[in-house]
Amino acid sequence: MTNILEVKNFSMTFGSTKVINNLSFEVKKGETFGFLGSNGSGKTTTIRALLGLYEPTGGELLIGGKPYSVDGGVRLGYLPEERGLYKKESVLDTMVYFGQLKGLSRQDAQQVSMDYLKRVELDGKAHLKLDKLSGGQQQKVQLGITIMDDPELLILDEPTKGFDPVNRRLLMDIIEEHQAKGATVIMVSHQMDEVERLCDRIILLKNGKSAAYGTVAEVKKKYHMKSLDDVFLHVYGSGEEAQNA
Amino acid sequence: MHNLGTVINFEIMRALKKKSFWLVALGFPVLIAGVFAIVYFSNQTTDQAAKDLAKQNFSMQVTDESRLVSPAILKALKVQSASSKSAGVEAVESGKIDAYIYYPRDLTKQKIEVYGQDVGIFNNGRYDAMAKMLLSESVKATVSASVQTVIGGSVQSSVTTYRDNKVYDPAKEMIYPGVYLVLFYLLIAFFSGQILTSTTEEKENRVVEMLLTTIKARTLIIGKIIAIIGLALVQAVLIVLPILVIYLLFHDKLQLPSVDLASLPVNVPRILIGAAIFALSFLFFTGFMVLIGSSVPTAKDAGQFIGIIMILIFGPLYAVSLFISNPESTLVQALTLIPFTAPIPMLLRNAVGNLTTWETILGLSILAISSVIVMALAIRVFRFGVLEYSRKLSIKEIISRK
Repeated sequence: MTNILEVKNFSMTFGSTKVINNLSFEVKKGETFGFLGSNGSGKTTTIRALLGLYEPTGGELLIGGKPYSVDGGVRLGYLPEERGLYKKESVLDTMVYFGQLKGLSRQDAQQVSMDYLKRVELDGKAHLKLDKLSGGQQQKVQLGITIMDDPELLILDEPTKGFDPVNRRLLMDIIEEHQAKGATVIMVSHQMDEVERLCDRIILLKNGKSAAYGTVAEVKKKYHMKSLDDVFLHVYGSGEEAQNA
Repeated sequence: MHNLGTVINFEIMRALKKKSFWLVALGFPVLIAGVFAIVYFSNQTTDQAAKDLAKQNFSMQVTDESRLVSPAILKALKVQSASSKSAGVEAVESGKIDAYIYYPRDLTKQKIEVYGQDVGIFNNGRYDAMAKMLLSESVKATVSASVQTVIGGSVQSSVTTYRDNKVYDPAKEMIYPGVYLVLFYLLIAFFSGQILTSTTEEKENRVVEMLLTTIKARTLIIGKIIAIIGLALVQAVLIVLPILVIYLLFHDKLQLPSVDLASLPVNVPRILIGAAIFALSFLFFTGFMVLIGSSVPTAKDAGQFIGIIMILIFGPLYAVSLFISNPESTLVQALTLIPFTAPIPMLLRNAVGNLTTWETILGLSILAISSVIVMALAIRVFRFGVLEYSRKLSIKEIISRK
């Protein structure tokens, strides 16, 4: 299987703080990859550097064999950790705008948006301003934007954060659908049960370095643990660091 | 840049959907219409008062100690003489008549006294207008038409000046290049806040990460700038249209001067230089405002800088007389060449024709280089600064960040 994403000797320093230290890993085309670690371990920084939002201090981060650019030929869906949309715009206008930016025609963007809104039971709120929606509903809209052009690479930074169990189930279904279509999924999550269920391989970061890397089974075997939860607690200890996760 | 049209359309449409845009956009034309309405109704009130008086709808008495008011005019308007000043005032007080006018003996030292029934703040002006009209019409009747014209200050004259053996009118020649000065003023006055906050909005809404992985920062910023120019055009139409309608429909009633645009001299080099100064100045300040907007976390923080920008841009207006009377002074030349203060001195001096060739070349070059640097810096800071959701970037970070 070819690599869709490669991180080679990546380092990142903010001021005098070294956040990522010589990190290397790769993600294969079509796999679902778990990106794990406690808060502040460098997951979001790595994703932002991958997407060109941060300039790396050292190393190479490649998507489709080259540094990411919006017109680089890879259809990307990115759900960032920092959630937000144009609060004073309507749900539909916002979705159509992003759909057009992603290359859909206005008509197609409207169709795809309405189909998605119907699926997540928000079609009745399509013409409401986003600030009239609850936090969870806004997240559903943002997820809809992320997947509206059928991305071949989905990067989801804590996708279930703030979702109730019903919507978490819905999100998992959507991720599985994209897996089935052959999309590569990179998922940052603190829900180890979800990671075990969905991910083929994982990387566990600690202090900006790789603490574990491989298939879920390999990682569990390496640490002689029954679950990823146990691996996580072992790597971080059971103290404050693990509780932050 | 293939998404440029989408960004422009989105930015324009969402601005047009905001009530605040229409409040600002319509505020200025409404103000202009209001001023014209006051002038118009004031004229109407005076005319109506004379008509009412002629029809005896408006009863009035006068006492004329100046001996200047024509008895014939008073008789024609059926205005009676009061037996005394106190009797006239008392007649108004008791509601027997609408107005009483007392003309004192020496008008050079004493005031005309006018008394009338209250008919509202706008209509009360008719009494004073009537008192002056009776006097001026009476005086006019005693002199020839020529003397009337001289006294009335309506003597017309034409001045023809020459430069390089050709007819040359510096005042008229500055009109077309001067339009850029007005345009720049309006654009900055109406839209500086919008430019500044439009970049912080994405950061405040936390939408920027999704946006910058979908579209290039450069395309987004250029789209926003073009959208603001589009909105400025909408604003310009909203300002010019009512003025044009008022001018065409009420030109005579408001006694507006005749303007023949076709007869205005067209100095092509100066118009082109004005356009270049205008475009580069707008680009420089837009880039500067995007830079500020990208460096701070909220629109409120960005708003604090609007005052400073306004002082930099419009502060040179305090030296406006110096730009015309002493353009060689060091202060004028410094203000002309420093990009932050350059727009007003350069546009104004270009319009009046005292911007020298070397100042034009050097000033435009400095503005162009500064604009490119500021724009590049603005796009770079937008790319990286917008992820700083809760703190301002320092100048050191802005310059050093890759």
